[in-house]
Amino acid sequence: MKKQKLQKNWFEWAVFAVGLALVAATLAYLAYDAVTITDAPPSVEVRAGEPLQREHNFIVPVTLVNHGDQTAEGVMIEVVLESGGQEKERAEFTVAFLPRRSTREGWAAFQTDPRTAERVRARVVGYEKP
Amino acid sequence: MRPIGKSIEEYGRGVIGGLIFSLPLLYTMEVWWAGFSAHPLHLVLYVLATFGLLLGYNYYAGIRHDANWLEVVIDSVEEMGLGLLISASALLLLGRISLDMTASEIAGKIVIEAMTVAIGVSVGTAQLGGTNGNSDTGEGPGGDAHFGGQLVIALCGAVLFAANVAPTEEIVMIASEISSWKLLLLALVSLVLGAVILFKIDFTCAQRLSPASGPAAIVIGSIITYAVALAASAMILWFFGRFDGQALVTCVAQTVVLGVAATLGASAGRLLLQSR
Repeated sequence: MKKQKLQKNWFEWAVFAVGLALVAATLAYLAYDAVTITDAPPSVEVRAGEPLQREHNFIVPVTLVNHGDQTAEGVMIEVVLESGGQEKERAEFTVAFLPRRSTREGWAAFQTDPRTAERVRARVVGYEKP
Repeated sequence: MRPIGKSIEEYGRGVIGGLIFSLPLLYTMEVWWAGFSAHPLHLVLYVLATFGLLLGYNYYAGIRHDANWLEVVIDSVEEMGLGLLISASALLLLGRISLDMTASEIAGKIVIEAMTVAIGVSVGTAQLGGTNGNSDTGEGPGGDAHFGGQLVIALCGAVLFAANVAPTEEIVMIASEISSWKLLLLALVSLVLGAVILFKIDFTCAQRLSPASGPAAIVIGSIITYAVALAASAMILWFFGRFDGQALVTCVAQTVVLGVAATLGASAGRLLLQSR
């Protein structure tokens, strides 16, 4: 192949520099991620927040954190209001995806005022592998 | 030195091409999901494979007539960078990535979308209204009568077309419900489609793919096209995790179902990608 001088102007060199930086950074991050990732299955932490009164019901904010290194799909959450060991009301909702190490938020809705219950118990019921 | 205006025009064509070819993927939720479910090593492989395709495409059908390998590499890096930028901006605009997500989720989504965008950028730069009488346009340095070059361009076309349908649930659904006879018919339809496109639209292309001439060239050409299409389909399906835990039958069925789209890409797409 014949030897030639590159015809690039400063603008093209700038685009190339940005492109190279982006590609290198992406590859470096992915490689770092690939080295540090483990096979740990999803491990979901559920935290119930302070109840809020809305016009038609009461809602309890729920925060989900996946501490595992795999994504959980169809994560089902159950929130139960308990008083004197008795279940007063139960609410459920599903989060479509909870990627690894990520946080998602949702609300559980009740007719009973959760503040009258002794205990608000939130737990994850199950999830599948995507 | 090229004038700045011409460079901007070229990048503009690339950006438009990237958007045209990858918009269906940017709007497909299965692709976003694959972005955060895929193993990072998987993504690295995907980036490297795409870079290989870009190198091949830019060498055989790229915009620079007189390109040497260094320039081909530089162009490929630029296209991949543009692909990452376009993918990130589009996902941000569509509300698919936000700062409260983890870095791995954001990176996964951007990377998985950016690779098709990058191929689109490459094709757009070379093909969208690119003939303005400049010496920069023309056949690639490898010459387009080259068999290997034809294979690379066919593979690019197949990937570009098949990637738009591959990640969707529909492929698995069709593959698991289809009867064996219909599957066989689909394979025949793909072969005939490939042959018709090669024969009707550009006979010389068929000849480039085989040493023979006449009807034999068509037959050999369409068989090679279909083989490239099946290989591309299987690769993409494997990448999107569609083979995980599936019976061999379902894997083959999915490959054949997707093979129709890939054949269109490998035959008609090939003509589009290199027409001059």
